Order: sequence, then structure tokens, then C-alpha cells
Amino acid sequence: MSDAIDLPPVLDLVAAPGLLESFVQRRGDRLCIDASRVQRLGAQCLQILLAARNAWAEDGNALDIQNPSEDFTASLELLGTSVGGLTNGTQKASGETDR
Amino acid sequence: MEDPLAAIKVTFFQECEEQLAELESGLLAMESNVADSETVNAVFRAVHSMKGGAGIFAMDALVRFAHIFETSLDKVRSGVLSATPPVVAVFLRAADLLADLVRAAREDSAVDEARIAALGVEFERIDHLDGAPEAAHVVPASECSAGDGGGQSGGVSTWNIVFTPDQALYAKANETALLLRELHRLGEVEVELDESGLPELQDMDPEGAYLTWRVTLRGECGEEDIRDVFEFVQEDCHLEISKAEPYGFDPGTVITGDNGFKFEFFAPIVEEPEEEDRKAEVKSEANVQAAVERPDPAAPAAAGAPPPQSKTVQAIAAKTEAASSVGATIRVDLDRVDRMIDLVGELVINEAMLSQRVLEAGIARSSGVAMALEELENLTREIQDSVMAIRAQPVRSVFQRMPRLVREVAAMTGKQVRLVTEGEATEVDKTVIERIADPLTHMIRNAIDHGLESTDRRIAEGKPAEGTVRLTALHRSGRIVLEVSDDGGGINRPRVRQKAIERGLISPDAQLTDEEVDNLIFLPGFSTAEQLSDISGRGVGMDVVRQSIQALGGRISISSRPGKGSTFSLSLPLTLAVLDGMVVSVQGHTLIIPLGVIVETLKPRREDVFPLDGDLNVLKLRGGYVPIVDVALCLGYGAQHSDPAQSVALLVEGEGGARAVLLVDAIHGQKQVVIKSLEANYRAVRGIAAATVMGDGRVALILDVDAMVQNTATDARRDLAESRQLEASAGER
Amino acid sequence: MNVTVLTVDDSRAMRDMLRHSLVAAGFRVIQAEDGLHGLEVLASESPDVIVTDINMPRMDGFGFIQAVRSDAARRATPVLVLTTEVDVEKKNRAREAGATGWIVKPFDPEKLVDAIRRVAA
Repeated sequence: MSDAIDLPPVLDLVAAPGLLESFVQRRGDRLCIDASRVQRLGAQCLQILLAARNAWAEDGNALDIQNPSEDFTASLELLGTSVGGLTNGTQKASGETDR
Repeated sequence: MEDPLAAIKVTFFQECEEQLAELESGLLAMESNVADSETVNAVFRAVHSMKGGAGIFAMDALVRFAHIFETSLDKVRSGVLSATPPVVAVFLRAADLLADLVRAAREDSAVDEARIAALGVEFERIDHLDGAPEAAHVVPASECSAGDGGGQSGGVSTWNIVFTPDQALYAKANETALLLRELHRLGEVEVELDESGLPELQDMDPEGAYLTWRVTLRGECGEEDIRDVFEFVQEDCHLEISKAEPYGFDPGTVITGDNGFKFEFFAPIVEEPEEEDRKAEVKSEANVQAAVERPDPAAPAAAGAPPPQSKTVQAIAAKTEAASSVGATIRVDLDRVDRMIDLVGELVINEAMLSQRVLEAGIARSSGVAMALEELENLTREIQDSVMAIRAQPVRSVFQRMPRLVREVAAMTGKQVRLVTEGEATEVDKTVIERIADPLTHMIRNAIDHGLESTDRRIAEGKPAEGTVRLTALHRSGRIVLEVSDDGGGINRPRVRQKAIERGLISPDAQLTDEEVDNLIFLPGFSTAEQLSDISGRGVGMDVVRQSIQALGGRISISSRPGKGSTFSLSLPLTLAVLDGMVVSVQGHTLIIPLGVIVETLKPRREDVFPLDGDLNVLKLRGGYVPIVDVALCLGYGAQHSDPAQSVALLVEGEGGARAVLLVDAIHGQKQVVIKSLEANYRAVRGIAAATVMGDGRVALILDVDAMVQNTATDARRDLAESRQLEASAGER
Repeated sequence: MNVTVLTVDDSRAMRDMLRHSLVAAGFRVIQAEDGLHGLEVLASESPDVIVTDINMPRMDGFGFIQAVRSDAARRATPVLVLTTEVDVEKKNRAREAGATGWIVKPFDPEKLVDAIRRVAA
């Protein structure tokens, strides 16, 4: 059984409570996150993504991120992490960023 | 395209006028203790807003003084300073100075620094009056002082920054990602995310703040530059900035990063850091992209946004403005309104013509067509009134200038004066408003300077020490009536008479009624003041006032009671676009004579007409003689003198009070006509003021009565003297 | 994507100046004349950044910012306060009300645009 979350374009303060809720509800399943529509990622939603990664790792379930948009990737790098950092538990991110 | 800044400046000055008026009325309310806190707020806002606008255009004196003023007002607003009469008095004077500074800024003229300094001292005094803490007359300047030396500009430094946002940072819509983006602009950035504070998913507050960022920044920036990035959030985060060991490379050194990044060091060029940046950028090739670019005001959009297409943007913005500005008023170009007034004028004429045609066609009054036409007529009138109302404005704008004038004149004459205004909301055409300001100013000066007695004298006569000048406006039978009255000594008739005789305006033995004596002050060149004072204006007498009022189609009259005071009344038309006229005919031509100048109509008897030398005839009228103007002859309609006995005579009063009798063939009634400029459509014609189109489609000329009256005697004064002499001699008969 | 800025200021000259500076910088500009008007505009618009004056009739800048921050849909919108006050107290009040940042008047257009860019996502 696999579940999916389609991330909204704007992941800001206003989006954070909903995002957290959607992870809490899907706990216990493999999860696929579609990040193709993301234009903006704020630090608070990043926290939730990171906490979700930890939770899924703890549960031993797979957590995948699919089709990360350019903006999504760029925002992660700006914030000191990467798409990989959201899935494989690697906390360090490449320092050299493009933007 | 016109300079948008110039246009904004115009708006700024317009706004200043409004704010100065608001300021003045608010302060006056404070002065008379009827001010509530909103009034004080409005006063503060007015000054504050002027300061803000003046700042845009670097009007320094204005900004400086507005700031001092505002600081004091703010104290009143916050209750630190109470608005006692001496405090409000300083505020009023400050408002006057502010108005002058605005004017100086507009005219780009010199500023009276001494006056600013003097008022600055006054402000300090009132601050101490209330035992308030020392006034901080700080001129607003850039908040940021120079960097505290954390990092020298010019050299490349490495900074370690530890940043932990609080929840409040996000609640205020600040965002770590954006702050990091800003750091990228300062130099090379490495970001390390510390998520050790992250709680379990289920324990998380979605709006909490759990992360810390460690940033290494390499760039040519000081600590201050970095602090500037965090300026908005410094109280909502934990921030540590420390300097790593400096890069001691000599100019010219090239370092190459492990990803191929190259950096060449130049000698510090303090003056042109941007230039250096650009060179560095070129060298650094593609790896360092938009991030190191200097802030470019033309491209503020976030990275990845398409370049702004300013045409489209402007169009969209304009549309949005139209949609979003839901104000109670709109600003319309005056030309457009005038064009509309013109068109409505045409409509009125057209409608009148149509009515006439219908009548001529023999259609019964009770027919549907006639009824519909009547409705159309009503509608047209209504439209005309509404359009005229667009141009109408309350006289408030003029009235509001008067308190200051009164204060100034009172100070100059040493008299105590109270100004009472009534009917400020009375509306009248904008042109009329613009043109009554000067006459009113003069009349008020006159009322204080000449009307009111000195304080000592008032006390001696048992009057209140403070004199009262009353300015009122009201609508009366389709006209606006403005009155300026004082409770002074009234017109000193023996003095006036004496002056008039000295100046040859009347013969020494002329018998004049009180009213006639009072009216002598309107004669050109008459002045009762022993010496022309500064206050009432050099050489400007009541004759000029009368002239400008008459030029507006108005009349001025005076009533005076010895010991009680005088009242000057101005009666003016509400608009200059339509005219109430008497329709007359002369040799088959239709003419309009402005109703305002007609004193009375009479049927002359042959035995009352006396020929004088030359072409001039005079008419004996109630013991006096008035020159006769044969309109037909004047306008060249006929070569022969009309027979006065066969004519209708209109006694008219022109400029300067000169009277004459106009001879016409017949009177056809009164009519409101739309004025069409003859000069604009044809050319100026002597004796004709303007034209109008009658219901039958024919053009009728509007008589220039002043020119007609002047025609009979080249000099109105001599003319009057002559007639007075005649009057006097008639009295002897 | 175009950055839309809502300016709220009761002074016509200031509004014109803001519009001029911001349009020149490529922003889409919408304007309101006081706090209440600003809230009305927000009913139909979602600006990326709001720039507001403090001293205004009807509803001042503090009230306006509070209202924006308590609107679930708008509370993440950055609000910059335009102020001539160097006075810390005013700035703090604006911050407490939820202001994202501030611009000290008289602003120069570059600084204004820069401040907006800094807070605009």
C-alpha cells in the first residue's frame, strides 16, 4: 500500500499546518511526495518535511520525492539541504549553491 | 511624456494646501478648546505628511521645521504636553511659518532661517513650560551609523554566522530562505543546516521554529552589511556573527576553488566597489550567477521571474488602480468640466430653439410633443444645474486663509481682533472663489485697520477691548452674498466728505445723503488713511475692490452706523457661465444687458432731457443729471439720435459707480443666457462683452455696460464729479 | 510571475511617489488610502508585499497590520511599514503588530525597492 502527497505550489507559513496534518494522517505507509508544483518553500514547511523524513525512517517505511521542481530544488539548496537530504537521512548538504 | 516627478511634486503642493488648511482649522479648534483627540491626530498627520512628502523632494528646511513641529504635536497627542493657549499660539505661528516654507519650496525662494530658529526657541520654551523632558530636535537621518569596524570594506573577509530564528520571525512573514538569499548577495555562502532541535513529527508545532543555520560567508563585506540583512529580524532570532581569520591575499592573487571557481584579488578600490565586483564577476565565470550581482533596481523580482515588461505592468497597474481606488471623490481636469458646461450650454440653447420651432409650427400646448418638450426643458435645466454644481466649491478654502490674515494684521496694528466666520460651506463657482479671495482679503484688512478702533479707544468707549470682524457667506435669490462687518466706529462721514472735497471728487457744497457719503470710499483714488499703511496695501483702495467685484458681475454695498461699525456686502452670481440679462431691442437688433448693472428702467419725458456740449445729452433724474447713452448710436446701428421720449431708458451703474442712462427701443423681458465668448469665436468688439444664442437661433450680443458708460465720459471720476456738480447746481435751482 | 505590491498611504503625493518608484522597478502596484481601504482591497487582491504608512485616518498602520496578521489567508504576506519615525517606540509597536520590516522615510526609490525585494518571496 502506498500513499501520495501532492505538494502545493506555495509552502509557506499558511501551508504549514495542513502539510503537517497530511503527514500525520499518512503515517505508517510508504509515502510518495510529488514536488512538481512547488514554487516556494519556507523554513517552516522544510521543518515538517525533515521531521517527516525522520518519522518514516523510524517506521522503516520508504519516503520518496518525485518530480522535484526547479524551484523546490533551489529552495532546498538555499536552506542548506537537498532533495536527497529529505529522503536518505543525510543531513549535510552541499555548500556550493547556485542561488 | 511629462516628467512624472514634476507631476508628483504638483500633487504634493496641492496636498500641502489641503493639509495646511486642515492644520489651521484643527489648531483653531484647539485654540477654542473644541478639539477632540481626532482633531489633534489630524493636525499631527497633516504636519507629518507634509514632512514625508518634503523628504521625497529633499526640501530640507521644510523637513527640518516640520520635524520640530511634529515632535511637539506628538507630545500633545501623547499627553506629555498640554495644549494650553500659549502652546497653541506657538503652534499657530508655526503653521504660518510652515505655510511660508511650503511656498518657498514651491517658488524655490529663500527661506527665512532666522524665523525658523526663533520658532525653534519657542518650541523649546513650550516644552519646558510643561516640565516635559528635553525636546529631542533630532533631524531624521539615516539610522545606520557607519559600521562599527567589524569588517573593513575593501578587503575580502570570511564571516561565520549562526542564525536561529524564533517563531515570531515567521509570524511576521519573515523567511529564513529570503535572508539566506540576501546573504548570497554579499558573497560566497556555505550553508549548514542544524536540525538537532527538530522534534518528533507528532510533537511538532507546524508554526514553530526548530532549525539553526550556520553560514560561512566569504565576501567583501563588513559586519554591518551582514547585520543589515538581519535588520528586520534581529529581535526575533538568535544571531551570532564572528569573523574568521582574514584572507591575507595580495592584490592580483588568484584562487581557484575545487569546483573550478576562480577569484582574483584586486587592490581595494574603496570608491568603486561595484566596479570591482563586476570585474570579479567576469573572472568568476558562470559558477557565481545572479547571487553576486549588485541590487539592480530594475530587476527586483525573485530569481527565476521573467524580466518585467514595463508597458504591460503599467497597463495592469493602471487598470488595478481604476478598480481599487474607491474614493469618495475623483479629480477631473478642469478643462473637461468646462467643456461639458459649454456643451450643456449648447443643449440649453438647442432646447430653446426646438421649443420655439414647435410653437411656430402651431402645435398645441397640450399636445404630447409640447408636453414632452416641457419635460425636456426641465431635464435640461436640471442637467445644467448639476453641471454647474461640479464647478461649485465651498467658500471654505478662501475663508480658511483669513484667520492667519487677521492674526497678522492684528499684530501689526496692535489691535485685539476676533474673527467670526459663518457659512463656510456655502458653494459658489470655482472661478468666483478664486477671484473673491483678493477683494475679501482687502476688505478684512480694511475692517481691522480702518474699521476697528484702537484697543484704548474701545475701552474708553465702553466696548469690549477685543474687536470682532465677522465674515459670512450665504445664498440669496440665486446669488452668493458675502458680508464683512466690524464692530468698530463706523465710517467717519465728515472725514470722508472732507477727503472727497480735497481730492476734487465732490464740490465743497454738494448735498449728499449718508449713503452717498459712504459710497464715496469706492471712488478711484480715495483713501481715508492719513498715510497709506502697509496693511491696507499701497494705493489699493476700495475702488479696486469694487472694480474686481463688478468684473465678476457682482455688486458691493456698504452700510454703516456711527459707533457701531460697518458692513460691506458683496453680492455675486453663482457662476460666470450663465448670466441673468434683460433682453432689449435696438434698431431691430436683440441685445442683452446684464441684470446686475441695471438700477431701474424708466420712460423719459422730453422735457427732462438736456443737451450738453457736443453729442452728450443728460437726463434730469430726481434732481440730479445723468448722462444719456444712445445705444444705437454707440454701436453704429443708426446715425440719428433716437428720440428719448420714444425710447425706454435703463439707468445703469458701471464700474466705479459711474451711472448712465441707456436708451433702447424696447424691453422684451428677462432671460438667463449662456455666455459665449465673442473674442474666442470672433474678435473683441468695443461695447460688446460677449454673445449668446437665442431660442430662435439668432445671436444676441451682450452689452459691455462699463465700456458704454466710459464712452460718455473718458474718465469716470470726472464724470461723477461733473454729475455731482450738476446735481449741486440743480439743487440751487 | 509578477510581484504585486499593495501600498497603503493617505498622502496622494506619497502614493504617487510609491507608484512611480515601484512601477519603474517593474512591480505591479495597487493602492489604498488608509487601513480600512487597504482591507477592502485585500478582499479581492493577493499582493506579494504590502507597504503601509502608520499615521492614517480611519484605520492606522498598526490596526491594519494587526488585521492582516489575523487574516488566515493573508497572514504570511510581508508588510513593510513606511515611517519617518526614527523613534524606536513606533517601530517596536509596528513590529509587535506584526510588521515584517520598515522603510524610513524619506525613502530613496532604490532602498524602497531593495526592502521589498528582501521580503518578497
